[in-house]
Amino acid sequence: MHNRQITNRHRFIGFALIALVVYILSNIVDEWRSYQGATVAVYVVAIASVILLTGYSGQISLGHGALLAVGAYSAALTQIYLHAPVWICFVIAVLTTALFGAILGTAAARLSGPYLAGTTLALAVGLPSIANQFSIFGGEQGISFDAGWPPLSFGENFTQYKWFFWIGSLAALIAMWWVQNILRSRYGRSWRAVKSNEVAAELAGINIGRSKVLAFTISSGIAGLAGALLAMTMNNVSPSAFPLALSFSIATGAILSGVNTLGGVMIGSVALVAIPEIASSIADRWSGSENLATLLPEFIVSALLILTVFLAPKGPIEKLRSRHSK
Amino acid sequence: MFQFINTLLIGVTAGSIYSLMAIAIVLVWRSTRVVNFAAGGLALASSFVGAAILEKSGSFWIALPVAMLAGAVFSAFIEYFFLRPLLNRSGEKNQEIFLPIIATLGLLGIIKAVLNFIYGDRIGVIPPPLSDKGFIVSGESIALSPLRILILGIVLLLMIVLTIVFQRTNLGLSLRAASFAPEISRLAGIRVDLIRTAGWAISGAAGATAGILQTTNGSGSIAPESFEFSLLLVFGFVAAVIGGIESLVGAVLGGLTLGIILAIILMYVGGSLVFFAAFLILILVLLVRPQGIIGVKGGRRA
Repeated sequence: MHNRQITNRHRFIGFALIALVVYILSNIVDEWRSYQGATVAVYVVAIASVILLTGYSGQISLGHGALLAVGAYSAALTQIYLHAPVWICFVIAVLTTALFGAILGTAAARLSGPYLAGTTLALAVGLPSIANQFSIFGGEQGISFDAGWPPLSFGENFTQYKWFFWIGSLAALIAMWWVQNILRSRYGRSWRAVKSNEVAAELAGINIGRSKVLAFTISSGIAGLAGALLAMTMNNVSPSAFPLALSFSIATGAILSGVNTLGGVMIGSVALVAIPEIASSIADRWSGSENLATLLPEFIVSALLILTVFLAPKGPIEKLRSRHSK
Repeated sequence: MFQFINTLLIGVTAGSIYSLMAIAIVLVWRSTRVVNFAAGGLALASSFVGAAILEKSGSFWIALPVAMLAGAVFSAFIEYFFLRPLLNRSGEKNQEIFLPIIATLGLLGIIKAVLNFIYGDRIGVIPPPLSDKGFIVSGESIALSPLRILILGIVLLLMIVLTIVFQRTNLGLSLRAASFAPEISRLAGIRVDLIRTAGWAISGAAGATAGILQTTNGSGSIAPESFEFSLLLVFGFVAAVIGGIESLVGAVLGGLTLGIILAIILMYVGGSLVFFAAFLILILVLLVRPQGIIGVKGGRRA
């Protein structure tokens, strides 16, 4: 790769190819696979937001599940109270979560390392539980979010989940296009500069605080989009949809994808969706015991995580790249 | 007033258990600069060991030390076989703390999966060794029970022992030196790697105690997916961060602060805000002091 420049045109062709693949896939797979496809799209967006924040700006977040919750609830509330069309709900979810992230980021920019990890962890545990306190959020049952049926012009056989798959993939492609652009803009460069050496970055005229808050804001906005998409696939927003385990899965996905490169984001997302299914089929074949079926996914994900940390700490993509360049 | 004192007592008991967990996290952070999420899994595993011993022997006083020993062994094992190779690989200069956090998160998952495999739907039982009925003062039952006194006593005893170990023994001096300046300690003849493993082992024992006390103070039973242990891990970590993550005294202060404020909120405001309150307390403390109550900016405490 080192002797050939990748230009924006190449990237655009790549994105178009992915869109084509999604289009073909959506036409041949069944309802359940479409649902899984939509879930992969949700994870792609969520993991991209973590990679932007942790891999590029160097701020740790263990609490992105909470940001997804903010996005999901704001999308659902917009629909319920403003009766807005779905795409406006998505836009509002992004903006609200970005605003929330800006406030949080102002506090977070002063923190580093374990302090930031602790704060985001506490947020992940604390924020979704607020929904039980105020009736506007619908308590434990949550509130509904209806992304609507596909337009009739698409034909009778166009299923709901296929529609979700389309919306999710389109949103993910737009988000990824935007993220990879911003990462190569001056903002992206300043984030990397701050991450690798704060003092040097400051001497070069970068406002460290502002750079960190901006990264937190943008990452939150993208996480908000992921939350709204998640709400769409579940038709509902409730506190139980955003457990600590969700935040941990997103962090896991980011590591499996390679936290320092955006390019691997598909790897982690597909792994998070595919592993439970693979595990349950293995468990069925071996013993059929229900116990094994429930614990195997967690075991496989955890083992993969540790293997990745040991064998390819910079992620699978970087691993391959460094092997090629040798 | 009566109710307020009861709330305080409940808060101090819960807080002292969070303090122990916070100490477990602080010890590991000081010795290897790793935020150890596996501590929750280790506490869970050693509590299961404790429950098994209790079932066999029938005595809480045998189960507790055995569980502590098991916690120490598990913890040292993890340090030796997972974290040490990982940290050697990434090198001392590496400031990245995300990878070790994720690695311990993976370990937590594996420990839970293994416990699930062994125990399945069965639960471990650690009934209170002493009565958990509160004493009767002027006709009303107060929140202070023999069990709570026992819990506070065990926590206090452990803290005294830890303080003596850290301030008065060679091991403690080496522990402090190795975390303050590993290179110089190595030159001074301290076997830093061994000392780090010792730090992890002590942390494991503290975590095991926290796990057992949390179980007897709570429902009395443990399951691999126990909610009480996620709680213990999260609140222990939050307490450690409030206290400044470097300091044992800070961990105790953080744990007690968290325990008392959460008990007050639980009593007077409502249960569903407890978790959010923990976040608010943390962020308020960190806004005033970004290095925690007893943290020092940019420095490492010995």
